Amino acid sequence: MKKIEVLAPAGNLPSLRAAVDNGADAVYFGFRNATNARNFEGLNFNDEEAAQGIEYARKRGVKANIVLNTFPQVGDPAIWYESVDRAARLKADAIILANLALLRYCKQRYPELPIHLSVQASASNHEAIQFYQRHFGITRVILPRVLTVTEIRRLREQTDVELEVFAFGGLCVMAEGRCYLSSFVTGVSPNIEGVCSPARAVRFDDSENRLQTRLNGVLIAQYEKGEEAAYPTVCKGRFQANHKTYHVMEEPGSLNILGMLAQVIEAGVVSLKIEGRQRTRSYVATATRIMRQAVDAYYADPKGFRPKMGWMRTLNATSEGSTHTLGTYEENWQ
Amino acid sequence: MKLSIGPVLFEWGRKGFIEFYRRMAHETPADILYIGEVVCSKRQNLDPDELLRLALEIRQLGKEVVFSTLGLVMTPEEVQTIGEIAHYARQEGFAMEANDMAAISLGEANKDKPGIPMVAGPHITTYNPETVDFLASIGVFRVVPPVELSQKSIQGLFGSLVTTPPLEKEVFAYGRLPLTFSARCYTSRAFHLPKVNCQFKCADFPDGMVAHTQEGQEFLVMNGTETMSGKLFNLAGQVDILREIGTHIVRISPQSRNMVEIVMIWKNLLDRKIDSIEAMARLTEANGGENFCNGYFFNQPGLDFVAM
Repeated sequence: MKKIEVLAPAGNLPSLRAAVDNGADAVYFGFRNATNARNFEGLNFNDEEAAQGIEYARKRGVKANIVLNTFPQVGDPAIWYESVDRAARLKADAIILANLALLRYCKQRYPELPIHLSVQASASNHEAIQFYQRHFGITRVILPRVLTVTEIRRLREQTDVELEVFAFGGLCVMAEGRCYLSSFVTGVSPNIEGVCSPARAVRFDDSENRLQTRLNGVLIAQYEKGEEAAYPTVCKGRFQANHKTYHVMEEPGSLNILGMLAQVIEAGVVSLKIEGRQRTRSYVATATRIMRQAVDAYYADPKGFRPKMGWMRTLNATSEGSTHTLGTYEENWQ
Repeated sequence: MKLSIGPVLFEWGRKGFIEFYRRMAHETPADILYIGEVVCSKRQNLDPDELLRLALEIRQLGKEVVFSTLGLVMTPEEVQTIGEIAHYARQEGFAMEANDMAAISLGEANKDKPGIPMVAGPHITTYNPETVDFLASIGVFRVVPPVELSQKSIQGLFGSLVTTPPLEKEVFAYGRLPLTFSARCYTSRAFHLPKVNCQFKCADFPDGMVAHTQEGQEFLVMNGTETMSGKLFNLAGQVDILREIGTHIVRISPQSRNMVEIVMIWKNLLDRKIDSIEAMARLTEANGGENFCNGYFFNQPGLDFVAM
């Protein structure tokens, strides 16, 4: 039986090596420009680093996917097309794309380069997936974090395109690629600049008895002394609605699929993606190692598989707010 | 410029929905009406065949009717509903607004069926002219750019394109901004109810449920699975710019109060019977003194307001 893939993030070469050394089956990374959705200072790869990373991975039997998941902008699209060319020159194992125009370009220019449809394309049903398969020959779709495991299993029955899901890390709770909450507040859009809730718009106001987190001046949450404050993204904010003050959309915390790993594997998913190209080398190492152990444990004894407490503790220590959720995969999340 | 009334994004019930469209058709000079559920398939105010009957009725009054479709499609049943709407559109010669690639796929021509004229709605990620060009090649005749695009980007979207007849450019110009969708229902969550047992709480909020910041700022509006702007987006002050950049259609998004009056204000503005200053004053009055936002148009945060 072919095992499900453990796919790890790499924001730089040391992280890429850490992912490979800790048991990843594949890694993914982006170029150091606005063409990917983790366009942060000091992050990502130039051509030389990309070539080194791919070589390091390949020598150890690990695949390397290159991410181009933002949308080319009016008047300045060249950098996106050049980045597709670069990914093809580097002979990546797959290119991850979201935009129709880039998909068409890549398919026409590099028919041999496998295309994975980015989560930013927000393809959450068989008809949309078939559309991308018909026009661009995508071989895999990265599912937006909106479907339950039951819905994923049904989807599997309706398409032969490989399904990749997010297994661990930050949890977007909106239809990815179609969320304008960041630009609404800060003017900076994940689809355009590749950044959600940029650090430069964030302010932590610490006073005697409370901590306020602000995004471009808007109060996102207010914490009592001793409460752990989360990074202020709008979707994890604490607001007032229906006469209450609460996390109107979602509590801060990380996605952790381990509690439903068996169901996800049995639903026919081929790849488990760890989120976090912006995270540290040590995070990548830890998350990859635990995911590897969990996947191997499942295949050693599928029926008897239970996530170990030790794995959960170790993973929780890496997460925001030290809490985790099964997110959308669980039926009652919706 | 023509005037369109976008799809009703709120839950007004069957009766409210039908009455609203009849009123808009009979009492306003709007040129185009978009009808159909965009936010939540549980609402299903009208089945596809009922939607068709309403569309035929409105078309007889000389209005262009376009079927709108769901923004976030997650189940085979939802795909099937769009398929039925596409079937009626094809059969009766209506256009269809796609808000998910599933609808684009179902509206496209294939070896068995001719294509349906399609509108790429505001939830299709149309960010560049190369994408517009591709969409045009598979049957899209009109594009409503994503709401976060600036005036410059909207202008550039259509810049280099040569199509015959030219692609129509429709700009979301008034109403609560549809900012994003989720699988989760935020209205039922506010009542500790899961979506499967939502009890249609969204029907109690005809213009959505306001979420304030803890400083009392009207920040967002929760509308079931959709998150919207707390303020009404309003480009009445920028109508000359819209004209200059070649906008064909201005979209007004429905609200529960004073909608006929709001459409009339916009019509008078587009016909140059009133100017932008007067239109802004009247729209403010019609909304009980509400503040507006328009930042996106100026490449600023969407919640900002830039004065004329």
